[in-house]
Amino acid sequence: MVGTETIGFAGLGVNAWLIWMIPFIGAALIPALKNKSERVKSYIAVGFSFLSAFFALSILPIGLAGNEIHSQIPWFSALNLNAGVLADPLGIIMSNLVAWISASIFVYSISYMHGERSLTRYWFFMLFFIGSMQLIVLSDNLLMVFFGWEGVGLASFALIGFWYTDRKKDYVGREGHVVWGIPMWASPTHSGIKAFLFNRVGDIMMLSGMFMIFAYAGTFGFKELLSDQSWAQEMMQQNLLVPAAVLLFGGAIGKSAQFPLNEWLLEAMTGPTSVSALIHAATMVKAGVFLVARIGPLFFALAVFNVSLFFEVVAWVGAITAFLLATQALVNQEIKKVLAYSTGSQIGYMMMALGIAGLSTNFVDGYTAGFFHMISHALFKASLFMAAGAILHTVGSRFMYDMGGLRKNMKKTYIFMLLASLSLAGAPLITSGFWSKDAIFASLLESSYSLSPYLFTIAVVIAVMTAFYTFRMVGLVFFGKPSKNMANMESKGQRIHEVSKMMWIPFAILAISSIAIGFVGFAFEAQIHGLFAHYLSNTFGISERGEGDDGGFLGLNPIAAISSVGAFGVGGYLGYLFYIQRKADPEKIRENVVSRAMWQFLHNRWYLNSLLYWIGVVIPLAFYRLTYKYFEGIFINGINPALQYSMVFMSKVVKVTQTGNIQTYLYVFSAGIIVIAMLLLM
Amino acid sequence: MVATFLPLIFSPVVYFLGKHKGINIATWFSFGILALSTIFLIIPSLGLGSGGQYQEIYSGGQLGHFGLKLDGLSVPFAITIYIISTAVVLYSKPYMARKILLDHDHDQTKTIVEPKKDDVEVEDGKNVGFKGGNLSTMVLSKTQKSHLDTQMGIYFALYLALSMGMVGTVLATNILEFYVFFELMIVPPFFLIAFFGYGNRKKVSFVFFLWSAVGALVLLLGLLAIGFFSGGFDFDVIKSNSSQIPVDWIPLILLSIVMGFGIKLGALFLHVWLPDTYTQAPTPISVVISSAMTGIGAYGIVRIWLELLSGNYAGYGIYLDIWGVATMVFGGAMALMQNDIKKVLAYSSISSMGYIIFGLGSESVLGISGAIMLYVSHGLGKALLFMMAGSIILQTGTRNMDKLGGLSSKMPYTAVLTMIGALTIMGVPITSGFMAEWVLFNGSLQDAIDETNYLKIAAFAVAISTTVLTSAYILWMYKRIFFGIVPETLKNVGDSSRYVIVTMGVLAAFTLILGLYPDLFYSPIINYVENLYSNSSNIAQIKQTTDSQELRISDQLIGGFGDSKTNDFSQIGTGEVDGYYMQQNRYT
Repeated sequence: MVGTETIGFAGLGVNAWLIWMIPFIGAALIPALKNKSERVKSYIAVGFSFLSAFFALSILPIGLAGNEIHSQIPWFSALNLNAGVLADPLGIIMSNLVAWISASIFVYSISYMHGERSLTRYWFFMLFFIGSMQLIVLSDNLLMVFFGWEGVGLASFALIGFWYTDRKKDYVGREGHVVWGIPMWASPTHSGIKAFLFNRVGDIMMLSGMFMIFAYAGTFGFKELLSDQSWAQEMMQQNLLVPAAVLLFGGAIGKSAQFPLNEWLLEAMTGPTSVSALIHAATMVKAGVFLVARIGPLFFALAVFNVSLFFEVVAWVGAITAFLLATQALVNQEIKKVLAYSTGSQIGYMMMALGIAGLSTNFVDGYTAGFFHMISHALFKASLFMAAGAILHTVGSRFMYDMGGLRKNMKKTYIFMLLASLSLAGAPLITSGFWSKDAIFASLLESSYSLSPYLFTIAVVIAVMTAFYTFRMVGLVFFGKPSKNMANMESKGQRIHEVSKMMWIPFAILAISSIAIGFVGFAFEAQIHGLFAHYLSNTFGISERGEGDDGGFLGLNPIAAISSVGAFGVGGYLGYLFYIQRKADPEKIRENVVSRAMWQFLHNRWYLNSLLYWIGVVIPLAFYRLTYKYFEGIFINGINPALQYSMVFMSKVVKVTQTGNIQTYLYVFSAGIIVIAMLLLM
Repeated sequence: MVATFLPLIFSPVVYFLGKHKGINIATWFSFGILALSTIFLIIPSLGLGSGGQYQEIYSGGQLGHFGLKLDGLSVPFAITIYIISTAVVLYSKPYMARKILLDHDHDQTKTIVEPKKDDVEVEDGKNVGFKGGNLSTMVLSKTQKSHLDTQMGIYFALYLALSMGMVGTVLATNILEFYVFFELMIVPPFFLIAFFGYGNRKKVSFVFFLWSAVGALVLLLGLLAIGFFSGGFDFDVIKSNSSQIPVDWIPLILLSIVMGFGIKLGALFLHVWLPDTYTQAPTPISVVISSAMTGIGAYGIVRIWLELLSGNYAGYGIYLDIWGVATMVFGGAMALMQNDIKKVLAYSSISSMGYIIFGLGSESVLGISGAIMLYVSHGLGKALLFMMAGSIILQTGTRNMDKLGGLSSKMPYTAVLTMIGALTIMGVPITSGFMAEWVLFNGSLQDAIDETNYLKIAAFAVAISTTVLTSAYILWMYKRIFFGIVPETLKNVGDSSRYVIVTMGVLAAFTLILGLYPDLFYSPIINYVENLYSNSSNIAQIKQTTDSQELRISDQLIGGFGDSKTNDFSQIGTGEVDGYYMQQNRYT
């Protein structure tokens, strides 16, 4: 055995293995419970998620101490590939985040999915989902990461299309909204396939990147890639290192719904809300960010080679996505879609931070900022989604104009959703969202990258929009008069009531912890900063250069803090004015031509969705149809008849000579003899 | 030897058994024979380890030696063929019984079924007699029963001959022997389609036979030329003498080989026979033809060209590459255009064969290995999907997707197993499809980068993008069959019988096992391909890390893994030695 320095059970890191294996074991077990009651299935599934979470917790001290578990077993020996887990501080923190947030979502699901049919399938894929995500987080090589990568893709396909009978109420988007001939509303199964195919596009990029690295390094292992860097040297000579890195990032673009593959995320809202919460907070879209966090330092550590182009791509893709989706969130009418836009936008922030990390002298600042934002986003977004689910559960409509005035009926939901919203909007000093966003602003400001002022400006503008759409959402849902839909419900005798304990407690816990982290924001950030500084310098040899924190009030960069507070103030005030106090009427923008055109542009999603459908679906299909009709239908299928008729024709030609007339035969025969004789004589 | 000829020897026996003892006995007897043959095949394969081979040689007079050989190439092919054949026997019973009885009813009532042009409505949409081929609940008249027994006897007799022909082809050690088996395996399907097929079956079977025979003849020209120039027909003789073939003849020979096998593979422009054959053949035969038989073309290319004429491979790869990509895209695109489930699958087969051709043209060890693995994987996946198509026909009487929908609530087991098959074809982990595809594409990209050949890089880009197209048509098909609202006419549909579910389950299990533990097939395959090209500089070799080279040595010396400070061995259930090592970096 390992001797004194045992880590984990039996010194083999068994508990690190179990974190991702347990959900899979649970998933395999669920179908066996097919005929058991709903309660048994649900509680066993939740039990497995908690078991996995406890194992995650058991390695947390190792991570916080800056140590790591790395354990391998032989797997694909024909190519010398090993399977392994790598639980380093990055992986351990992420793994805990995933495990505990999913566990709370699982608890929420018990009540949310109560009475649904096919719960076996639901729990199977939910467990499969977190198992795959943990596999991404804890794998020690890219190939296993890809296993998890496709696993979350598959699970999201199945869960987005969970209500596969395509009832109208499960659709997303407003029916009849057609842009450039492309319908903007979608059925669950359509959305599932869309999500899968968009991800597939990202996946092939990621695979190509992996193959390029494998062609030079002969391994997929993160540790092996780091220990022997000759592959990078060779690739650099061929000018292939940056393309390979960017292709790997392509996988993250697909999975994290970054521009231009962002459109699937919005249609993904057809799944049950618990699934949306899982996709947005703990699994799936976070996988892309995690991948960048995993490979970013690796490429930065190869700093002898100039890889800054890679980081520029990451930062700008993040910035564009964040801006694009924030603008669209301003005008959307469906509560879940607003949240989905906001997720894409916040992920853009994280990408921006991770990208700018590679462009600064202090890699760890941006890196920490990005990761910190991921943590705070996971907390408040899971909370927001679950609260939104509670509202949908009660109101029975996904449109915000069917809600309104709910703060009296659903007091607890209101309070906790407001707390989480404040965190999203970045309310100063008391919310985790503020601290993490501020860290991103600061790292943008401190970067030596020449274009970072532009990135900073974009980030501030996005922050204004974020505050605005957050307050708009809160205002539309909880303030104002109850909508017609709700009046109808009341008149039918349906009482608008608070949801069950099992539903509100999970999101209450997450909302409160989001605020709690906010109260100790500075200390928390310093803690992560220190941890990652150790981790990066220890593993990758990336050390901090120059001053760490610049002092100041609670370590805040003054410009960053002022602009952050300003953004919250401006956006929040406008939102408050329009939607909470309702002093100004937002309908006014419809009267002005310019603002109406802008509204149209945003409401039609920048025409991006339609454009992608035209390029990716309509035009190819038209081309295939032509090929099928003319090439396959006429040319290829014509070969058989052509052969047949030509044979018949040939036989007719031959038949002409067979007259049955002896004299003709004799003439031809003698003519032949003469010809041969002449030939011989010559 | 026994494994190969057992089915042939017992094929007439099955006929009589069927005729006199009934279909149950005939089914289980055929199943027993094939299962036994499979075991006989697996036992020597296990002894192969990696790199070895198992051979039986019999004298064939002047034509050289006729033998049977198991090596890294033939093992995956032969085992796949027998596993699929064995599983399909059980599947055939309910399916064929129903099919035969339906045809019989048509004959009795003198209703002449006019072959329609696009004949997807296989059973006039009527709900006939019994559900799910459950014969026990059905009362048969005496004439019906004797007709059924006789026909099933014929069916299984031909079926056994077919599986024997396929296995013989991949085990042959002599090109004439190879050719005889190659011709032999196209005869039974001809009769099977003509007797038991759908729609315009006589014509379809004729087209199938003619095209296959022409392909075989074109191939024969090439084979004979190789034989004459190298002075013998044995593989060993040809391999050592292949340099004696005059350079002028090489392109001609290669052309005839590739054309011959291309027809078998259904490569673009040579696929004329394929869609109709797959569609109109009785479904169990579609399964066998599509998953086991067409891929033998790939075996032929590897064996005859890549192995025997190995000196002439590099340089021609690019043509195969491009042809493969064209076939992939074409098959995928056409599959999107279909309403008929079996036609989607037929075009999907063309597309998958495109993948294989692409892999064979990659001029890299990994690409070729991946292509061989893809044969296995495609076999399992496509067998599952065709079985699904059969189940749908069995349960609903139609294979027109416009009339289907929402069946996952009615046929949950079929839906799940189909999903596994679909994932295998799409190449998603943890199915064997991913294991095949990533190795294939990896090799192809590696070769393209090594040569800095932009055409190859472009071919790679198109090829890997085609996986999106593949996912699209498979998921679109799946959606139309299993998602949505159940049509009124299908309200009473139930799931398939146990025979169907269990056979599908076994194949699904195989694809998952191979996806998780690819070494089972990859060790012999990669070893074989590596040996083939160990001295060839034009072929992209597997990249070894410096670490793993040391690792191989340290493996032999101390049995440890890597530069671990500690190592530990434990025996895990399967008997493989799994070593663990862990390392701990302590921050100081």
